[in-house]
Amino acid sequence: MNTASAPKSGENVWIWLLKILTGPLLFVLLGIHLIVNHLVGKEGVLRYAEVISYYNNPVIPLMEIIFLATVVTHSLTGLRSIILDLKPSRSILQILDLLFLLAGISAFLYGTRLIMIIAAVQ
Amino acid sequence: MNEKSNLPAPRKFLSWFNPVGRQTGGWAFILNRITALGLTLFLYIHLLVLGKLAQGPNAYDSFVRLTHQPLFIFGELLVVAAAFLHGLNGVRIVLTTFGISVPYQKQFFYALMTLAIIAIVIFGYHMFTS
Repeated sequence: MNTASAPKSGENVWIWLLKILTGPLLFVLLGIHLIVNHLVGKEGVLRYAEVISYYNNPVIPLMEIIFLATVVTHSLTGLRSIILDLKPSRSILQILDLLFLLAGISAFLYGTRLIMIIAAVQ
Repeated sequence: MNEKSNLPAPRKFLSWFNPVGRQTGGWAFILNRITALGLTLFLYIHLLVLGKLAQGPNAYDSFVRLTHQPLFIFGELLVVAAAFLHGLNGVRIVLTTFGISVPYQKQFFYALMTLAIIAIVIFGYHMFTS
């Protein structure tokens, strides 16, 4: 196994697995996100009115929420493995893990709430 | 990579910026790491800025007018570049992690980065000419 990208000391195998699975998944999800946002038509998502009508289709909020969860997970597990290279002490790591978890959950809740707000506007 | 000790190594951070003695693999690693940080920064800014949608049409549409400035479009191109470089590098990482194409890793890296550069040029052209 390529040692540079294998789980490192302090990196739980499940966290590593999350990072390396969400990566390829993002190929698909990011692709969908970008293509769909682009296909809304000229000036599509660059106009408030277009965004609102586009979000009225329930598939869109659902797709965006899944995409949000995946990208936040990949971003934070990746950040964590960068920090792990600095070999933080066990107690610092525990604090950082808590911060990562809080950051991830807040970002996800904030984004989902925003999506729900937009989807609810008529 | 040989782990000689598990002591905290905050100064190792500075060695990330040391180009001396680095080979292709080291550059690939640094490239992936820098694009990762750039994309992470972009992600959270993007999420915050999208909050303007909740403030109604005026807030959002006037922000969108900002995005037509060349400097902004250049910023977006940087994000696109980071995404292609990070994503294609990631493809190499996933494959080599599971033992696929390891002997050709270097050529694979160069091929993927060439693809990325072509994609970036195509996107850049379209972004600045419409």
